[in-house]
Amino acid sequence: MLFRRIYQFLLVYFAGISGLLLVKLLVGLSDYVIPGIPLIFATAGETAKGYFFDVLNTLQVTVLGQVISIILAFTVGIAGRKSSWIGSFIKMIAYNIQAYPIVALAPIIFILLGDGFIPRLLIASMICYFPLLLSVLGVMSSPVKDIEHFYIITGKMRWQLEVKIRAFENLSKLATVISGSATLAMAGAIVAEFIAADAGIGYSIRIALYQSDLAKILVALFMIGIVISIYQGLLESASERIQKAWAISSGN
Amino acid sequence: MMHLECSNITYSYPGTDHKVLDALTCTLSRPGFHSIFGPSGVGKSSFARLLADLNRHTFLGKIEFTEIQTVLYSYNLERLPGWSSAGAHLDKVVAKEKEALKQELINIFELSPLLGSRFHQLSMGQQNRINLIRYLLQTFDLLILDESLANVDEKLRQAIILTIKRIFPQKMFLYISHNLMEVSTFCDEILVFGGGSTGKSYGTIQGQNCCSSEAVDRKKVDETMLEIMNAF
Repeated sequence: MLFRRIYQFLLVYFAGISGLLLVKLLVGLSDYVIPGIPLIFATAGETAKGYFFDVLNTLQVTVLGQVISIILAFTVGIAGRKSSWIGSFIKMIAYNIQAYPIVALAPIIFILLGDGFIPRLLIASMICYFPLLLSVLGVMSSPVKDIEHFYIITGKMRWQLEVKIRAFENLSKLATVISGSATLAMAGAIVAEFIAADAGIGYSIRIALYQSDLAKILVALFMIGIVISIYQGLLESASERIQKAWAISSGN
Repeated sequence: MMHLECSNITYSYPGTDHKVLDALTCTLSRPGFHSIFGPSGVGKSSFARLLADLNRHTFLGKIEFTEIQTVLYSYNLERLPGWSSAGAHLDKVVAKEKEALKQELINIFELSPLLGSRFHQLSMGQQNRINLIRYLLQTFDLLILDESLANVDEKLRQAIILTIKRIFPQKMFLYISHNLMEVSTFCDEILVFGGGSTGKSYGTIQGQNCCSSEAVDRKKVDETMLEIMNAF
């Protein structure tokens, strides 16, 4: 899973670079607009190490933001699973807020909180929270009738059991959504760093952008891609192990 | 005396005009192993679900339970959660004081070697037996078995029905099955649901209510079967 993720990223990345070089060749653009391979390699040699640590810095925000989102999404999703008025109210709010581009709120957050770690974390969490919430709400509010019937009719149903049944029956769906949300969290963190931050790969890309240095941006994109591929691959492997462990060993 | 009386029950699913039950009147006058019999789509399962959860459904007519406090409804497509083995699941849902009964039922239902397996690893007949056993070990007055023995081989099905009749003589069972011979032989009162071109029809026929396989009078069973077929 992990290697497949990296392999897929490398394919896409090098296809993109090849496309750029083809455009450069066809239109006859200078190295200033689209750098050639030697320049990209030279820039990579100079900046790769620094960018790697910048991506790790962004990854910290991503992971923390994702964890906060997952906890929040499950808490609200479980509370909103019932067809009571509270459940309907939570669902209505979630669907409506989800329809709004949260990233547009980023400037307000920076005006109120300034640069730094907290605004980045907040934006990363917010961007991956709503898609996660909708998936969790969808799973938690869909009864698994053929399993739940017995517990309901015999009066043995408890909310913890209901949540466990629904989570277990939709384990692969939840795992996919959680690992997919890593990309969203990282996108949120990078966007936050673009707008106003003093650290992270988004901040470095912003500087490269001001310098119109596409080679630096390409190296930064490579670092982001590799790191997020490894992180997603690890998440997928972990979720696969958890699914197997829950399905095979627990409860005996 | 345990008693179930339904008068003029008319029921349609919400949002439809189609009457699933149309002026159904029937009585089950004593505990025992009774049956609902009829072709597919005449409202057997709908009636069963109505009985099991009166508060959730809106219907016309009157359903009266006497000495029936707890109604359970089991059906053949139910599943057990997949995170534990069938045996572990049974342990969790069965009260300690019913341990001896559980062991007896497990032996009769031929489930001992399967208790370590996950539900999805079992055949459909095995799944239905596990499902039925957990219902039999709950507290109930009326247990509805909606095709709960589907996919179980005939010999074992017969043994299970006879066991239920022997162990739970004071309980009421309502067995929904498409097996005419089995219903005629082992059931007490048989509610026959018809749904021909002239509309819905309902009747009650006395089954042979045999309590052992040796006591079966083939001639009388044939007569009951004929009576049921004519009642459609």
